[in-house]
Amino acid sequence: MFNFKETLTYSTINLLFDGMKDFLITLGNVGKDLTKTFYYVLRLRINLRATIEQSARFAVDSLPITLTIVGMTSAIISMQISPELAKQGAEGYIGMLSALVMVRELGCIMSGFAIISMIGSSFASELASMAVGEQISAMRVLKVDPIEYLVVPRFLAGVIMMPFVFIVSSFIGIVCAGVISHFTANLSTLNYINSLWQGLYIRDIMIALLKAAFFGGTISIISCSCGYSTRGGAKEVGIATTKAVVWSFLAIAVWDYIFAAIFYL
Amino acid sequence: MGIIVKNLYKLFDDKKVLDDVSFSVQDGKTLGVVGFSGSGKSTLLKIISGLLYSDGGVIETTENTDIAMTFQYSALFDFLDVYHNIAFPLLERKEYRKKYNTKELKQIVKEKLALVGLEGIEDKFPSELSGGMQKRVGFARAIVTNPKTILYDEPTAGLDPVSSTLIEDYIVRLKNELNAACIVVTHQMSTITRACDDVILLYEGKIVYRGKTEEFLKADNPYTKQFISASLEGPMEIKSAI
Repeated sequence: MFNFKETLTYSTINLLFDGMKDFLITLGNVGKDLTKTFYYVLRLRINLRATIEQSARFAVDSLPITLTIVGMTSAIISMQISPELAKQGAEGYIGMLSALVMVRELGCIMSGFAIISMIGSSFASELASMAVGEQISAMRVLKVDPIEYLVVPRFLAGVIMMPFVFIVSSFIGIVCAGVISHFTANLSTLNYINSLWQGLYIRDIMIALLKAAFFGGTISIISCSCGYSTRGGAKEVGIATTKAVVWSFLAIAVWDYIFAAIFYL
Repeated sequence: MGIIVKNLYKLFDDKKVLDDVSFSVQDGKTLGVVGFSGSGKSTLLKIISGLLYSDGGVIETTENTDIAMTFQYSALFDFLDVYHNIAFPLLERKEYRKKYNTKELKQIVKEKLALVGLEGIEDKFPSELSGGMQKRVGFARAIVTNPKTILYDEPTAGLDPVSSTLIEDYIVRLKNELNAACIVVTHQMSTITRACDDVILLYEGKIVYRGKTEEFLKADNPYTKQFISASLEGPMEIKSAI
């Protein structure tokens, strides 16, 4: 006898339905935690010591990997485009192009990716371990809101420190691109610096700083929310960490598109 | 006043986890809550402590006092040392934040640690302590705000018999010191006999027995007989409980 529940169609629909349900639950949790975070931030209920600690962790601890990723990416791009531009007689644009790419896009998005893998994943696994170990429940029984104590400092650290990470990593990226273009296209430092200014606009820098702050806040809140809402055991800690990383990647890609559409379309 | 629980209900999906549970515990008394796994014991504690919402019923406690809870695996904050774990609510809660200076805080922590038989371990981290010591630090943290209701979730789980006896003694001691109403969820008979004044037995979310501890041990009740003898035969179906 035909049983629809045993068909591949049913399984596929079920899988899609579960995926959609999980998506909506995660979105709801992030929204709820973000609302509560804003509630505390707007009332200035901020744990300054914890915020400073998390800021140091966010920016300083992640800096080596962030600078390596941004520096290497910009060096590789410079390695690819500098000789080609030099062949076309467009050496004068190498600096401009490097600055443009770094400030408008690469500095922010590559720093974001590095921060997600280094800091976002650690936020998520840390809070998930606390949740499954009942430490978050203990905090609630002791009448201390875990959002105020754990999430707000991490969120503020992301919003405040990400622009600094962006500035440092973009600077390193531009320097790396300059060094590589010197060796691959015989471009003098002076020419590189001169053309650099043609691609640097205050407006671009301001937009990039704003974008970095959005990226930082987004990474922090998604990572904290995925960790905070974990139930179960060690397996769920792993799932929460993976979810935090995937969602953060997707979220900053979407933000990047929105920023590009609003400011550069 | 202690704690009064009236007609408590809790549903998970469509399954009744707590079904019309009512009891009261007076100040200075300890109620033991026993039952097989899945009978609703931990859910009951979570509802009383405010970690879960009930689907019906009323819980009344002494006004303006905290409800403290200790957890099965202590739930100490592993990123804080013992001093900061115990002082945590006093440091982080708005109403206490400016009430005590550092010297007073240190004194309070010292006193609470002495109450659970631990001294001079303020600088240690939870990972440096044994399971029994972690439980006692958890007790000290729970009582730091002088609560009038203390909930213990499996306080002797995972401990050796001697450490269990020690923990049971501290449950009695804290109850007497604070004149608190205590509820102990446990599987261990020694905890019931040594630390509890009254006992309720839960099965499928319902109270199937209530009485004094000494009566519980010799009651002519098929549920208590099955529980005490740890028998598979009896009115409680093990399959449905675990």
